[in-house]
Amino acid sequence: MTDRQFIGKPTNRVDALEKVMGTARYTADYYLPGMLISRCLRSKVPHARIISIDTSEARQIPGVHAVITCDDFIDHGRFGFPIVDMYMLAYQRVRYVGDPIAAVAAENEESLQAALKAIKVELEPLPGLFDPRQALSPDAPLVGEKPRDAEGYPHGNLLIDYIVRQNDPDAVWKECDLVLDKEYTTMHQEHAYIETEASLAVPWPKSSGVTVYACCQSPFLAKNNIIQTVGLGSEDVRVIQPYVGGAFGGKDDTMYQTIAQTAKLALISGRPVKMVFSREESMISSYKRDAMIMHYKIGAKKDGTLMACQFHGIVDSGAYAAITPFTAWRSTIHAMGPYRYQACSVDTDVVYTNNGFAGAFRGFGNTEVCFASELAVDEIAYRLNMDPIDLRLKNCLRPGDTTSHGQKLGDDVALAECLQQVRKLSDWDRKRKEFEQGDPARIHPGELRKGIGVAAVFHGMSLGAEGKDSAVGTLRINDDNTLTLTSGLTDYGSGSRTVFTLIAAETLGINPSRIHMLRPDTDTAIDSGPTVASRATVLGGNATQVTAMRLDAILLNAAADLFHCQIVDILRDGENYIGPNEEPASFDKVVDHARQMGLTLSTEGRWNAPENHWSFESGTGKPYFAYHFGAQVAEVLVDTGTGKVEVTGYWGVHNTGTVIFPQGILGQLYGGITQGLGYALMERVDFDKGFIQATNFDEYIIPTAMDVPEIVGAFVEKPFSDGPYGAKNIAEPSLVPAAPAIINAIFHATGRRIQNLPANLERVLIGKDLRKEGSNTACKLGLHQV
Amino acid sequence: MIFDLIVNEEPIHTEAPADISLLHFLRDHLKLTGTKEGCNVGECGACSVLLDGKLVNSCLILAAQANGRRVVTIEGIHAEDGGPNDLQQAFIEYGAVQCGFCIPGMVLAGEALLNSNINPTRAEIREAIAGNLCRCTGYQQIVDAIQATALKRQEKGRRD
Ligand code: FES
Ligand code: FES
Repeated sequence: MTDRQFIGKPTNRVDALEKVMGTARYTADYYLPGMLISRCLRSKVPHARIISIDTSEARQIPGVHAVITCDDFIDHGRFGFPIVDMYMLAYQRVRYVGDPIAAVAAENEESLQAALKAIKVELEPLPGLFDPRQALSPDAPLVGEKPRDAEGYPHGNLLIDYIVRQNDPDAVWKECDLVLDKEYTTMHQEHAYIETEASLAVPWPKSSGVTVYACCQSPFLAKNNIIQTVGLGSEDVRVIQPYVGGAFGGKDDTMYQTIAQTAKLALISGRPVKMVFSREESMISSYKRDAMIMHYKIGAKKDGTLMACQFHGIVDSGAYAAITPFTAWRSTIHAMGPYRYQACSVDTDVVYTNNGFAGAFRGFGNTEVCFASELAVDEIAYRLNMDPIDLRLKNCLRPGDTTSHGQKLGDDVALAECLQQVRKLSDWDRKRKEFEQGDPARIHPGELRKGIGVAAVFHGMSLGAEGKDSAVGTLRINDDNTLTLTSGLTDYGSGSRTVFTLIAAETLGINPSRIHMLRPDTDTAIDSGPTVASRATVLGGNATQVTAMRLDAILLNAAADLFHCQIVDILRDGENYIGPNEEPASFDKVVDHARQMGLTLSTEGRWNAPENHWSFESGTGKPYFAYHFGAQVAEVLVDTGTGKVEVTGYWGVHNTGTVIFPQGILGQLYGGITQGLGYALMERVDFDKGFIQATNFDEYIIPTAMDVPEIVGAFVEKPFSDGPYGAKNIAEPSLVPAAPAIINAIFHATGRRIQNLPANLERVLIGKDLRKEGSNTACKLGLHQV
Repeated sequence: MIFDLIVNEEPIHTEAPADISLLHFLRDHLKLTGTKEGCNVGECGACSVLLDGKLVNSCLILAAQANGRRVVTIEGIHAEDGGPNDLQQAFIEYGAVQCGFCIPGMVLAGEALLNSNINPTRAEIREAIAGNLCRCTGYQQIVDAIQATALKRQEKGRRD
C-alpha cells in the first residue's frame, strides 16, 4: 500500500534527541537529597549451606542505615516465574558464585565497604555440580530443591523436560542414504548491555509506600514481586522505568532482586536508596544465555530430501530456573529448524548446576538450536555434493506446509523468498565457485582463505503456548490537543516507542509529533505481560492500533455530527476532516466539537494473540500463532596461520511483513547480527568450577566497529494478517542465524567443521582446544570490586 | 583538594577527594550525567570526554590530571542555539541511536575524529570509534552519521 502517511517512511526515533544531547536520564543518573548508596554481599563459593548470618556489627558502623537478609522479606523473599525457586537474598543455601546474601545501605562508600566486611557469614561448603551431563547421575550433588528419590537419584536436578513427536525416526533411518550423527555445544553468553543494573527506591513521606526507578525489563513484574515479598498493597508501590541502556532479555530476574532489595532498604532507612552494579558485579551475578549440549541425528536421501531428525539436548540452567523453562521450550519447538521431515523426535532436559544461572537472552533458546541444526543441515549438503542453499530450498517450510509439531502454516511463510533474495544479494553462486572449498590436508599454513556460508531461521512469534499473550495500550487527548499514548511493553532501546507512535499516528491520521508516548510506569500503563520474545511490535503494535481505532471512531462520530453527515461520507486530507459540503474541519476543530458533545476522549485497547495449544504429553500442537523467517549469508577471510577469522561481508533477508520504522528495523538487524558475530567468534563465558572467567570487557570481548563488516539488509514485506499493518517482529530472529552462517563460511574456507562455540583461534586452527583455560583468580579479583 | 578547571567553557572551582577519577568528578560532583560509566577500566568508551581536545576515557584519568585544563563533555556539544549540532543531528537522522547509553561517548569520538581528519574513510571511522563499545546498533548507522557529517563539513568548508 502506498497511501500510508507515516508507516514505512523515514522517521526519527522519538527519543533520539535526548540521547544525542546527553540529557536522557538513566537510573544511575538520578541523584536525590539524602540518597544512600547500597550494595550486596555476594557468595564467593559456588555451593554452600548457610549456617548463620550475623549483621549486628555491620549495623553499628556509622553511616550505615540498613542491613537486610532474606529474613527481612515475607517467606524469605521467595519469588520466580514461571518456577518459584529464587530468593531476594539467599535463604539456607548459596547456589552460585555471586548469589546475594545480604544488602547494605549507607551514606558513603567507606561505611558501605566497612559494613559489607563486618557481616559475618558462616558457610558449610557443599560439593558443586558443574557438568550438566552429570546432573542426573546418582552421585551428582543435589542442587535442585527436591530431595533424592528412594534409589538415591538426584531427580531434583532435573528442572523440566520437553518433547516434540512426529512419527518415529527409528523407522525411517533405513530409508536414508545418509545419516549424520553429531554433537554440538554452545556456551553461556553475557548480555553485555553497556548500562549495568541499577535501581533507585524512594520511600513515600508519611506512609509505607515506595516508588522505584529501575532499568528492568518488565515494571509490572517488578511491582508484583515487591508486593509479595516486601508485603505492600498494590496502591503502595509504583515502578517507573527511566531510559534503559540495553537489556536484550537480561534485565529480568537479577533486576527484580535488586529492585526488591532497594525497596526494602528504602523503607527501613526512610531515605532514597540507589544501587548501581559495577561491571564486575554485573558479569558475576547476572544471568546469562544458557549453555547447551545438543545431539543431532539427521537422515537424508541422495537427492537432498531431509527425512528424519532426532534431537537430544541438555540445557544448563545453572543455579536457578529464571525464565529458562520458557527458553528451553522454545529450543525444543525450534530444534528441527524450518524444514519438512517425515519423522522427528525432540527431547530436551533442563538441569540445575552451580554454573551461575541462565535466563532470557535475545533469541530465547532458538539461538542455540539454530546454530547446531544449521551446521548439521549444511554438512548434509556438502556430503551430498549439493549447494547449501539448494538443499535448504528443497526442504524449507512453505505456505500450507505442516510442521513437525502438526501445525498447518498460513500464507505468510516466505523462507524460500528470503533464501533466493539473499543468494542474489550476496552474489552467492559466483563466490561459491571462486572461493574454492577448503581441504585441511591441502592448505598451506599461513594461507589466507575466503569462504561463504548460509543459515536459515524460523522463529515463533511472541510467547506462544509459553504463556498468556495479550497487550494493552491507551490513548488520551489532552487539553492542548496533544495525545498521550501508553503501553505496558517497554522500550529498552529496540525502538518500540517509535513503532507504537507511528501506528497511532497512521490510524488516527494525525502528525506523529502530536503524540507523546509515556515511559512505562505502573501508575499510568496497563500490565501487558513481559517485554520478551520480541513481542513488542506485534502485541503492543496491535494493542496500539486497537486503541487508536476506538479513538478514531469517536472523532469520526464528532466530525459526522459537525458536518451533519454520515461517517462514510467523511474523507481525510492530512489531519483535516472533509465532509460532503462544508469547508474542511481541522483536527483541533473536530476534537473541540467532540468535547462539546461531551464525548470521552480517551480509549483503551487490548489485543489478544490468536489461540495456541500445545500438548506437553504428546509433543504436538500449535505452539505459536505464526513464525518469522529469514536467511543470512556470511563471507569470511580466515588466516590459516593464526586461526584469525575476519567477517568480510554480511547479508540478511528477513520475512518481516510490513516495515513500519525503516531505520529502526535496519538497526535491529545490524545489531542482532553483530551480537551473533560475537557469539560465533569471541564471546566466551567459561565457568571453572563455578567461577566465571571473565568479569569485565578486558576479558569478555564483544565486537567493536572494526570487527563488523558492512551489512546489507533486505526485507520480504509479505503482509502478515495478524500483525499491525501487516508487520512481524525482528529483534530476535536477526541474531539467531548469524553464528551458524559464519561457522558454515569458515567450513567453506577451511574444510573444518567447528562444532563448539565460540570459534576461537585454536578451534579454527586445529579444530579443538589446546589447553583447559583459566583459573578462578579472575573471578576472585572481580569479586573484590563487587 | 581544590580543583580548578574549565568544563564546557565554564570555569570550575570546587573541592573533591584528591583520588577521584575524572568520571566520578564529572558525574557525582558536577552532576554532568551525560558521561556514562560502563566498565571503569578503560574498555568501553562510555565515559569518553575531550581533554584539551583529545579523546580520553574519563574513568582512567584522575580529576587531578585535568586540573588547569579544558574538559568537554557531551553537555558541551551542541549547536549555537543549544539544539543538536550537525553531528548530533546526523546521529538522529541516520538511526544511529538505540538505547543511547554509548551515544554520548560515540558523539565525542566522532567529534575528536572530525577535528583531526575531515575526510575519513569508513575504515578510518570504524577505527576511530573502536574504543567505544555499542551493544545495540552494530555500528553501521553510527558510521553513516559520522561520514555524512564529514561530507557536510567539507562542503561547508569549501563554501566559506
Ligand atoms: S567507563 Fe571508562 S572506558 Fe568504560
Ligand atoms: S545504542 Fe545501546 S549501547 Fe549503543
